[in-house]
Amino acid sequence: MSYAVGIDLGTSNSAVAVLDDDGRPRILTTPEGSTTLPSLVWFSPSGPVVGEAAREGLDHSPDVTIFGVKRLMGRRFDDPDVRRLARVLPYELVAAANGTTMIALGQGQTVSPEEVSALVLLELRRIAEEFLGGPVVEAVITVPAWFDTAQRQATKDAAEIAGLRVRRLLSEPTAAAFGHGAHRGERRRFVVCDLGGGTFDVAVVDVDSGVFEVLSTTGDAFLGGDDFDRAIVENLVRDVRAAKGLDVSADAGAVDRLRVAAQRAKHELSAELATSLQIPELLLLPSGKAVEYGRTLRRDEIELWSSTLFRRLEHPCRDALVRASRASDQVDEVLLVGGMTRMPAVRRQLARIFGKEPSIIANPEEVVAIGAALEVARLDGLIDGVLIIDVCSRGLSISPAGPPTSSSVSAPCDLVIGPNSVVPTREHRVLLTKQENQQSIEFDLWEGASTDPAENTHLGRFALVELPLAPAGEVLALIEVTIDVDGTVRLAGTELISSQSLSIEQLSHTGLERTEIERLANEHGRRTRARLGTGGAG
Amino acid sequence: MSPPRTLHIRCGTWEQVEAFYSRKLRRGRLLSMRVPFAPELGSELTIGLELPSHIVMTIDGVVRKCEPNEGDDRHWIEIELVGLSEELLRGLRDMVASASATPTKGRVPTGDTANVVSSPPPRRTAAPPPSEDAPPRLPRITAPISPIIEEELPSDERELFGALSTELRRLRLAAVHEVLGVSRDARAEEIRAGWMAHVRRFHPDVLAPHRSDAVSHLAEELTILGNRAYDRLRVALVAEGRGAAFGPALFTPHGWLVGFDDLSTSDVPARAVAKPRTTTTAAPPVAPSAPTTPLSASAPPPAATSSFLETGFEHLPSAASSRTGESYEAQAREALAAGDSSAAREVLAMALVAFPRSRPLRSLYYVASALTALAAGQIVLATSQLETALAHHEGCVEASLVLEQIHRNGGTDYDALRKVFQ
Repeated sequence: MSYAVGIDLGTSNSAVAVLDDDGRPRILTTPEGSTTLPSLVWFSPSGPVVGEAAREGLDHSPDVTIFGVKRLMGRRFDDPDVRRLARVLPYELVAAANGTTMIALGQGQTVSPEEVSALVLLELRRIAEEFLGGPVVEAVITVPAWFDTAQRQATKDAAEIAGLRVRRLLSEPTAAAFGHGAHRGERRRFVVCDLGGGTFDVAVVDVDSGVFEVLSTTGDAFLGGDDFDRAIVENLVRDVRAAKGLDVSADAGAVDRLRVAAQRAKHELSAELATSLQIPELLLLPSGKAVEYGRTLRRDEIELWSSTLFRRLEHPCRDALVRASRASDQVDEVLLVGGMTRMPAVRRQLARIFGKEPSIIANPEEVVAIGAALEVARLDGLIDGVLIIDVCSRGLSISPAGPPTSSSVSAPCDLVIGPNSVVPTREHRVLLTKQENQQSIEFDLWEGASTDPAENTHLGRFALVELPLAPAGEVLALIEVTIDVDGTVRLAGTELISSQSLSIEQLSHTGLERTEIERLANEHGRRTRARLGTGGAG
Repeated sequence: MSPPRTLHIRCGTWEQVEAFYSRKLRRGRLLSMRVPFAPELGSELTIGLELPSHIVMTIDGVVRKCEPNEGDDRHWIEIELVGLSEELLRGLRDMVASASATPTKGRVPTGDTANVVSSPPPRRTAAPPPSEDAPPRLPRITAPISPIIEEELPSDERELFGALSTELRRLRLAAVHEVLGVSRDARAEEIRAGWMAHVRRFHPDVLAPHRSDAVSHLAEELTILGNRAYDRLRVALVAEGRGAAFGPALFTPHGWLVGFDDLSTSDVPARAVAKPRTTTTAAPPVAPSAPTTPLSASAPPPAATSSFLETGFEHLPSAASSRTGESYEAQAREALAAGDSSAAREVLAMALVAFPRSRPLRSLYYVASALTALAAGQIVLATSQLETALAHHEGCVEASLVLEQIHRNGGTDYDALRKVFQ
């Protein structure tokens, strides 16, 4: 018997949920007893370490301890967001031959974001397999609603490396509303605010008798719990300088100890008004003497320190409403998702923005994974009458390939699939040969609706090959571009005159090559089998 | 009193038609089904039975029973088909019999071949469809077609596969509005309901429990057809200004006066028209009688308003017809530059009665409405008005400029807004 699970693959924390025997979703706990697993991988000398145990790596080898990899998934190295990230991340980013972002691990070794994600997925899979007592081979994985085609494909690739067949990629706001039980009951208009560890996402979600639709999504990809931690740490560093006369800002170990303490204090201050912060060994002086640091921290202090961050919540919220043409009184329910929404000041700020008290969800960190597990149940036919509608928000364009020397093509793009088309959908274009006996036609695929390639994201360069021999213009190649339910792209080619199907070769594309995915999947599959073997014996 | 509803029942195959009259009906004339509305007991309800030959038969019925359905907001109703005469039944039997004799020809569509937006291959055939001459001559339904009620799909996998591929073959030849089962000039809500019914029936997720790749593939193809039809109709509707699309949704837009046909419906947002009339000094000089401005369209009986629009055109003061669109526009711009958006709006509303097709006038009208909304602090309404303006006339520079102002500072800098028109 094999099982399917629901996975919330988050920027800084992930969670996995399964269905009970009676069909009720249930969140699983890590060996440390937490319901969420830090999306953190430490490439230690003895092999990769995932989750809570990898925090150790942050202390002494931050250059090979990878966090926040979700922001890199399916992004090109020259993407402005990646450039911005590269400046602040403690680990090094490099470009692969095809322009995809890779992570350097030193000694010429690199690892792809997909593989790092796969390691997190494998750990979640292990947790689920231990609980269920059988192999887990399928999963519903959640992705942000604004994830583009390349990012969705990268997530699917990561799952494949981890040996999981993706039954569906589910939008996070939809999953949250689903996990909240929105499919029961009347038509409701939700705003889902997801303030997690690394990102802030806002979505306007309509649920009408079981049909889920995301009307608009906005967000801030660089606002999350980590930023609040950083704001607190910055102030603590200043405080240490005032109290002890020591500047610890350059000491990575000390800063990390402060960060761990700040995080714990932040969690406690969601319930308490004041807490004490104690670090017995902040750093060692050259004499070998340990410096101790402690103080009490009040809730209003950390609220003051992070006040600039609260202000950044407002614009995405207003923007989401404007894009869905909603006034705030046309919102029935505000759902708060993500651990950071436990912070009272965050709730206060969002209540002020929407003019309405947000709903209290008991488990804001887990509701997305619960929604994913419900999706598993729905796809098995256990939940009736629920339908989840998704769109390809940015549209797809195509352009004939330019000269092979320049990767940035000057040929204008032609819109194939319009923005906000409901998926699955399909459109086609006809390309003609330009020379006699032309062997192949090359074209580029872009995400985005602009005619200017510079404003679109490059998805890949493809070639229709093995064209029949004929004079120029007498080979009519039909390219069918299909976007499937998960929002990933499929291509098919046909020669119209002979109505033969043509094969399409991928010359370059963002993301991993097929062969590479298969190689990695095999490698990890072997490891998993080996582990299951020893697990069974012991 | 609303006109009697028509329920559209689509039979993709002649077997389904046969099943309809031989198995679906109890005591020969009682039909039970789930519908997404609650009809009154004893009210009239017409069944539009669409045959595989695309002929629609109307059968009058009376609602005998209506109970809410468990779990959703649909209702179980029982209809007595009082209009199902022996003669009609015989006609149906004949058609089923002749279709089973010539199985392929039965599916040749006879509907009109004009397509709305997309261009599926032309589908005229030389041979006249056999059902055309089949007695008796049956009326075709033109309007109104309310939500489509479909036959339940078979649960057996092989039968399901057959039903899906038949449906796919049929819909591949259909025009976009036919795919969704709506009329060619359908409103936003009808298109949405038609699409919703389509995806609720064929979406791969709905059929996923079968765990069959073949079924999933057909489901995906069918959903692609439905989604494409929906997207095309949506784009066309938005371009006409009769629809507003956000993500996958489609609404009748917020702005009133949209496409000029929603004046006859009562869904005019109250806040757009509830504003007190501005002083008469700003009113256009050619309008001595107040009712000539559509602004007074907030009068309670909407039917009266629409009849004004239809007949009022001929009774316009001759001075109005002698004025050019440009002179209205200049006057409106003057008012906008002076910051009096309400006056500009009245001038433009006046102008639109004389020049209903002028895109620049229309878009400027929406810009003026947006400015009025901005002055009242309704940013969301203003934004939607501006977007409608751009949908009517993409080259409307003022709308883009004002939108930019809103994005920059929430549209509170009135001086900058005025400067746009100077």
